[in-house]
Parts: sequence; structure tokens; C-alpha cells
Amino acid sequence: MLIIRNCTAVMAISLMILILSSPVLAASGNSGKVLNGDLIFGPDENLDPAYKYTGWYMHEAGIYETLFGLDENMNIVPKLATGFDQVSDTQYEIHLRPNVLFHDGTPLDAKAVVFSLERVMDSSNPRHGEFSFIDSVSAVDDNTVSIKTKEPYSPAIASLIDPLVSIVKPDVNLNTTPVGTGPFKFDSYEKGVKLVVKKNDRYWGDKAKLDGANLFFVSDSMTRAMQLEGGDVDIARGLPQTEVQNIKGKSNLEVLSKETMRENLIYINMRKAPFDNLSVRLALNYAIDRQEIVDTALEGVGGVAAVGVFSSQNPWSANKELKAYEFDQSRAKALLKDAGIADTDGDGWLDYAGKPFSITIKTYTSRAENKPSAEIVAAQLEKIGIKTNVEILETGALTTDLTNGNYDLALYSWSTGTTGDPDYFFSKHFLSTGAEAKKTGYSNPDVDKWLEKARTTFDQKERMKYYTKVQEQVLADSPEIFLFYLNELVGVNKKVKGYVLYPSSEINFLTPELSLGD
Amino acid sequence: MLAFILKRIILLLPVLLLVSIISFTLFYLSPGDPAEILLTGPQGPPDPAAVQEFRERAGFNDPAYVQYLRWLTKAVHGDLGYSYTSGERVSDAVLDSFVPTLKLSLVSLIISLLISIPLGILSAVRKGSVIDGLGMMLALLGVSVPSFWLAYLLIILLALQLDLLPVAGYGQNGDLQHMILPAVTLGASAAAVTSRMMRSSMLEALQQDYITAARARGLPERSVVLRHALRNALLPVITVIGLNFTYLLNGSAVVETVFAWPGIGNLMTDSIYERDYPMILGCMLFLAMLFLALNLMVDICYYYINPRTRHESGD
Repeated sequence: MLIIRNCTAVMAISLMILILSSPVLAASGNSGKVLNGDLIFGPDENLDPAYKYTGWYMHEAGIYETLFGLDENMNIVPKLATGFDQVSDTQYEIHLRPNVLFHDGTPLDAKAVVFSLERVMDSSNPRHGEFSFIDSVSAVDDNTVSIKTKEPYSPAIASLIDPLVSIVKPDVNLNTTPVGTGPFKFDSYEKGVKLVVKKNDRYWGDKAKLDGANLFFVSDSMTRAMQLEGGDVDIARGLPQTEVQNIKGKSNLEVLSKETMRENLIYINMRKAPFDNLSVRLALNYAIDRQEIVDTALEGVGGVAAVGVFSSQNPWSANKELKAYEFDQSRAKALLKDAGIADTDGDGWLDYAGKPFSITIKTYTSRAENKPSAEIVAAQLEKIGIKTNVEILETGALTTDLTNGNYDLALYSWSTGTTGDPDYFFSKHFLSTGAEAKKTGYSNPDVDKWLEKARTTFDQKERMKYYTKVQEQVLADSPEIFLFYLNELVGVNKKVKGYVLYPSSEINFLTPELSLGD
Repeated sequence: MLAFILKRIILLLPVLLLVSIISFTLFYLSPGDPAEILLTGPQGPPDPAAVQEFRERAGFNDPAYVQYLRWLTKAVHGDLGYSYTSGERVSDAVLDSFVPTLKLSLVSLIISLLISIPLGILSAVRKGSVIDGLGMMLALLGVSVPSFWLAYLLIILLALQLDLLPVAGYGQNGDLQHMILPAVTLGASAAAVTSRMMRSSMLEALQQDYITAARARGLPERSVVLRHALRNALLPVITVIGLNFTYLLNGSAVVETVFAWPGIGNLMTDSIYERDYPMILGCMLFLAMLFLALNLMVDICYYYINPRTRHESGD
């Protein structure tokens, strides 16, 4: 009896301690103008924006700003800069906005900008390669910064949009105490739980309408949807496609959706027969019904069927004249026949070089839409008689396979450019020296020439002429099959006002215009 | 007793060494270049040059045994290294994420005991009755139901329909309000196992001669069950409770993910996805240590509850 009484007592006491140690009532402190929002990804322990992609999350939270930014139509707009003069092909003078204060009250000056850029160019930064085009950065006077590039490089100004080069206060520990210039200032951070920000009363632009925000990091998409439904949060990013109808049905909630810069595509291994044959690559394009992928794998709400490499959301660089490959199975079969792929043994499946023609589509699951999309593509290829498997790998293993040419098709998700400049994506994927072009084995001297020219041409219209040709050629050569442009789905409580969905949504979330009604 | 504990602690060392070797080997054999995975960002795969630089710096180009020995030498000196992804000290990260898991586990354990012990006793005493049938059906359901499903079900009922509790999240440092749903989810499956064990062990105890003797002496049934039978029946149950507790402490990645609870289960799965091997090894080592320590504690409990083991250990 003694034991039992003891056990009960111990349990009762531990329960009491737990209750007392938890400030239960304090939990409901969501007073007035503090927004609660669910994000998917958050920073690691280290909050320095120059550390990997932490800057993206800190920019989402409105803590840091960059010299230039993008508006909701993807136009480059001045932020901490007011403008720039191009002194020569390789030199820019950037004029800083006057009277900007850091969150600690000190003024922004050219020294801080030089510091913020130089630390990213340092070889110890794993992403320094993205800024290796810069030769030197120096302060001309307190309000002017000069940037010299090694060679003429037209994406130079656009590259300053990446929050990797957020302008930071020098001489503070940025890992733990972020000091920026944004409309919101850092309050506290719990790793894997939440980032708390407060309104910056000394912001140079329109001051934030919110008093602050709690940004929660929730990796499970169903949980995010239910938190929105239950009123735990006012806004939730990355809703699961299956929940869109349900949330639209609630009178106090709505779903905002916008095509983003993110795209899903299939790499074709051109280094391997028969994929080195253009007819085969074209046949694959004709055999795929992109609308069916969107309607089924994405539940009709998660994306838009792709035409060419860039969605029309890309501000000035999308070639809007391109025509999509139509879904045409008989044409696909005819093209395969031209390439010597036909059913020679009469078993209903196509054969190539005396053996059954089979394809494996490799992909990874950290992007939820990849696997269902790959499965539908597989089913579509089977319909024209190609035996098709889907193989799921981890991203690292997949990259290794691609680098070694050990694949047929590989389904990937790519952001076509956070900064809005097409050079980043095009040079990686279609310039024959690009890291991704090496994986597909794509090399077209014309495309190489156009891309090099576009990179050293400063007139946007001139550049666009080259990019128009590149997009046509790439669609015709088809080293990659473009499937769909991904939609961002954001669930919003109707009391949230002024939320703007940016195409470059991966770096934009909290803005001064956001407010809470009621 | 002290000698017994000391012997057990010394025996821990080879086990821990083995755990670290196995974890390291599994990590080393798993496909994919860790440098590549670590540097992959939302923009897509990283620059090959950056990958090479990272491999060089992290010493990934050395042979496996050199890498392992380098890690081991530091670990022996108490330095588990730094996370490749976040740069924080592994020991700090592991302990930080263990606190939420510990809190959750304690509450889950209490919930599971509050359900399972009375249920098990009642089922045994009223064997074959409706209560027994219902109780054991619930227990069967408890073990069979996947935890993510139960989690969603509880959220829909208690948080969305009845609006009694928050859906998910860590609240103010893991307050009770936010803890109830994940704790009940975890507690349910633990309770299922414990109550079945309690029932069968109680049934066995009730058939013993000393129970017949106690009844013959005219003791009230309540006293027979709770004083005489339960004390003996609890022994095997304690083992199960100990096992349950270690299972809870290992952190359920599923439940922690659904409820956005920043525990060690979440830390482990994230580190595995990111191939953050100092972190994986740190977690494995910590959990192995915990598992062994809890087993030791269960043995010590045995020693005090069951006088027979005291004589056998020759103390």
C-alpha cells in the first residue's frame, strides 16, 4: 500500500510542479497588433544574415534590408540606396539613403555597407562564390560606395538584392544580436520555435502598422493549416494543397495564391543513349500532359503548367512568345520510332537496341510536390509504352548520381532567381560550363555565346534579345523538361490586412503595410 | 550494491564505443556527399567549388578511420564538436533539445500511468467482464493506432471543434496548455502497453497461494488486491514502465513534428536529413547513455522493491 500511496504522491507532486512552472495564463498574450504567423523554414542557432541562407529568413522578418530590393511586380527598387551611377563597365557608385538609422540608433554610413559586402566576399563564407564577380568595394564618402567588378557584369546591381548582402551594423555580435535597418527589430529567438520582432519606431520609410510579430517555424504543413483554422496563428505559409478547399470554406479565412519564381523541371541525361538523340527528348516532352500533373499532383491549386523555362512572373526576362509542347501521344510515338524505339517483340512495350526501353525518374522528397509529380509523369510515359520507375533518393545521393551521369531523368525543384536577374539560373543550367549543364551534358555554342554577351551588356532591352533567343533554343534543344511553376499558397485570417504576396516570396513576408483588424 | 552499480557503469563504456562506431559507420556508408547536402540551400544545389572547400575544411577527404579517430579523441575529452549546419556546440544543442523532450516525456509517463495502472488492475480483478473487454480493446487500439493519426484526431476534436486547447506549438517555454495534446498522444500508446502488462501480471499474482491464504484469513478484497497482489504484480510492470520511459525520452520525431515541439526527436531527424554528423553522433551517444542509465535505475528499483534480488546480489 505504501508504494502505491508513494507513487500517487510522486505523480501528483510532479504534475503540480509542472503546472506551477508553466506560465499558462501568460500564453494568451496576443494583444491587439501583434501578428502570429507560421513559416516553414527558420534560421539555425546563428542569426548572422551572411551565414548560408539565414539572411533570407531575417529579410522575411523585416529585420534587415539590402541596398536594392524587388517590388511585388519584380521591378528593382532602391532600398537603402537611392540610386547608382555606372562610372564605367566595371565600376558603380551607389548613393546611400540619407538619415537611415540602425536599430541601435547609430546612422547608416558607407563604412557599414563596405563591411557588409566585404565579409560576404571573404573566402571563409561558403557562398562567397556568388559574389566573386566583385573586385573591390570602397567608401567614396560617408554616403557613397564604389563597387568595382573584375569584368563587365550586368547582373551586378540585381545581385545586391540577395539578403546574403543585408546591410548590417559592424562591431556587434550578429549571431545573437541582429542589428539592421528594417521596419522591424529583433526581440528574441528560440531555435526551431519562433522569432519575435518588434516595430522599429525610427524606420526611414512608412512605419510598420503592426506593433510586432511572432513568427513560428512549423515544419508540418497540416499542423500549419490547423493552427490557422484554430486561430493559433493569423497567417500561415505553405498550406497543403489538400487543405485549400477546406480553408476557403471557412468564413473568417481565405487562401491567397500566386505563381512564384520556383519551378519544377526534369533533367535529361544527354550523356546517355538514347537521350542524346533530340527526337527522344522531344518525344518525352510531347508525351507529358503538364495540365494533368497540375490537376492531380498539385490538386489543381499548387501550380501552373509550364511553357518555357521562365514563368511570366519573371519581370523582364520571360520570353512570352514561346509555345508549349502540346500533349500529343501519337507524335511522341512517331518521334520515338524515328529514334529506333519501337515495340519490336510485340509485348506492348517499346524496345530499344533489342532490349525493353525503360526509364527511371529519380527525385527527392524534401519538396512535397516532387514525388507525386514524378509518379504522374511515369504513368504518362507508360501510356506510350515506356516502362518507367520512380526512384526516391536523398538530395545528396541524387546530386552525386547526377554528377556521375548515373541517371535517365531527374525531377528537381529550382528557384529561377531570387534577385530577378535571369543570369544566375541561365548560366548554371545552360552555359556549357555551368554546374547544372554539366549534369545534363548540355552544350550549345550559340547559347554559350548569347549568355556571355548578355552578361556583359548593360542595356536591358539588348540583354533581353539574347535571353529571348536562349529561351527559344533551350526549349528546342530540351536538355530539361519544364513541368510547372509552383504556386505559393498562403492561408490568411481575414482580419489580416495589407498582406502582399511577392513572386520572390522566399525572401519577403513582414512588411510595414501589414496590419491586423478587429 | 555500490559494487554492482560500479560494475554496471564500467560495462557502459564498451557499449558506448560500439554505439559510436556503428553510428559513424552507418553515417559514412549512407549515400550522398555530406558537404553537398549541408550546402544545399533553397536556391538548389551548391557551387561545386564551395563543396570542395568545405570538404577540405571539414576533413571529409581523409580516410574514414582517421575521421572517426579524430572525433573519438575529442569526444573522450568531452568535446563533441560543433554542428556543421548551425555552428553551435553539439553538447549544448543536444541538452537544449532534450529539455522539451524530458518535460513532454514526464507528463506523458504520468498520463500513461494514471490510465494504465488502474485500468490494468480493474481488468484483472474483473476478468471477463465488460470493463475488462472494453479496457483491453482500448489498449489494443492504443498500440495499433499510428501516433500521427491520433495526434490529428485529438487536434481536430479538442483544439478545433471544442476550442479547449491550442493546436500545436511550444507556447511559453512549453507550458502545460501546449503540452497536453502531445503528451496524451504519446501517453496513449505507452498506457496501452503498460495496462496489458499490469493486467496479466496481476492475474498471475492473484492465482498465487499467498492470495488464497490472505483471502482465507478473511481480509477484505480491496486489501488483498492492493496490498498483497499489487506489490508483487508491479515488478514486471516496472520494467515495462522503464522501457516506456526510455522510448518516450528518445523523442518521437513524428509527434514532435506534428506538434512543432522542439525536442530531440526533431533535432535527430533534422540532423540526419542534413548529414550533420557531429550532431547525429552526439545525439546517439547521449540517447544510448540515457538508455543505459535508465536501465540501471530500473535494476536499482527492482533491488529495493523485490527483497529477493537483494539476497541474490550477495550484498
